[in-house]
Amino acid sequence: MSPATTATATPPTALAVQLRAARARLAAGTLTDADLAAIEAQAGPMRQDLLFLQASSTHPGSGALGMALVIDGVMQEPPWDGAWPYQNVLEALQDGWRVISFPNLALLTTSPGAKGLGCEFILERWRPA
Amino acid sequence: MSSAPATTVSPVATLPATIAPTLDDAGVLRFCTQGYCLVPGVVPAWVNAKTIAYLDAHPEPEPSGILHEGWFREHVLCQPAAARIIRTLLGPGLALPVLMSSHRRQAPLAATGGWHIDGGSRWRPELQELQVFYYPQDTPEALGPTHLLPGSHLIENAQRAMAHYGAIRGEVSTAAPAGSIIITMYRLWHRASPATGTGVRHLLKYCYARRAAPGRDWPGTPGFDPATASFSGPAAPFGEQFHEAIAAAELFTWLCGQHHTFHHVGGQAWPVPAQRLAPPTGVPAGLTPWPPRGAET
Repeated sequence: MSPATTATATPPTALAVQLRAARARLAAGTLTDADLAAIEAQAGPMRQDLLFLQASSTHPGSGALGMALVIDGVMQEPPWDGAWPYQNVLEALQDGWRVISFPNLALLTTSPGAKGLGCEFILERWRPA
Repeated sequence: MSSAPATTVSPVATLPATIAPTLDDAGVLRFCTQGYCLVPGVVPAWVNAKTIAYLDAHPEPEPSGILHEGWFREHVLCQPAAARIIRTLLGPGLALPVLMSSHRRQAPLAATGGWHIDGGSRWRPELQELQVFYYPQDTPEALGPTHLLPGSHLIENAQRAMAHYGAIRGEVSTAAPAGSIIITMYRLWHRASPATGTGVRHLLKYCYARRAAPGRDWPGTPGFDPATASFSGPAAPFGEQFHEAIAAAELFTWLCGQHHTFHHVGGQAWPVPAQRLAPPTGVPAGLTPWPPRGAET
């Protein structure tokens, strides 16, 4: 596998994107202190956001039954009677969330009855603190 | 050896025998699938006002002394529309509440109460206790009414495993006018909702207990046949296909006093919902249509 193939297979991080942009501005002579401050912020402390999404099955496209988030260290939730930001795990992935916990299959297959709130996916997203 | 002081044991207060069951077969089945029933605005305004005055004078979290008040017993605990439903579900001679909980919240309050089931919940196909809520004041959404998840009495869970839940598809608000009573399965999932308005939200919570073996002594529903009735309900999305119908049917069978005849055969047998050409197999022998076969006119 060539290095070029490897590079295109991995999505660039936000930091990498900003570095490339800064190189371009440096070459053009337009790099500013604000550009460097933005890069510095990316390299500094990060904060983890969490998304708890309970789905009707283990398929990441199955409909969300429950949702709660931790944003900037605070528990939040979408309106109970309104629109939710994501209808399923796939939509959350497309918005930059990463799955860090998949529904526990052992728990799902040991009883025919319902236990708990569906199939719980836990996702994370890191942002500058 | 010192002698122990004499202990006075109060007799169990029971619902008056004149209060007859009111839910019919279809109503009982509906309660089995939903797990709650809202009786809006049935307590008189003067009783609501007197209750609020009592709670203001007794701000403790368990003002059980109110249970001794004759006006409260007559117009809240034994309020006919609610009490008839409770009598239907708990059978004759049921015990009136012996403990009162007061959930007073000062609005505005951004935090929810968090989804939970109350301590002591058991996940059996039985109905031994009903947990009842009473709002003595108008309780619109802005005052943070309790939210319930219909059908969740059929979804086994643990209190400690629910604390991170947020919005849930299908949750309902119990926003209701003053004098409303909400009758629930003890283990139904519930939480206080955020209050964006201003004022005090009083909520009294208390339990009635069964003292008699279950039995189908409620009014029949003409044409009702457990073999073909649908036991599907709002808990359907939360588990394996048909799990909620099977669980609700088992609870209904227990309430009929026929649980010893219940056996879930599996496959497409009763109580899996379907439009069949003939009655399904697997119907408990003790579950008969209404009116009973042979009694039709």
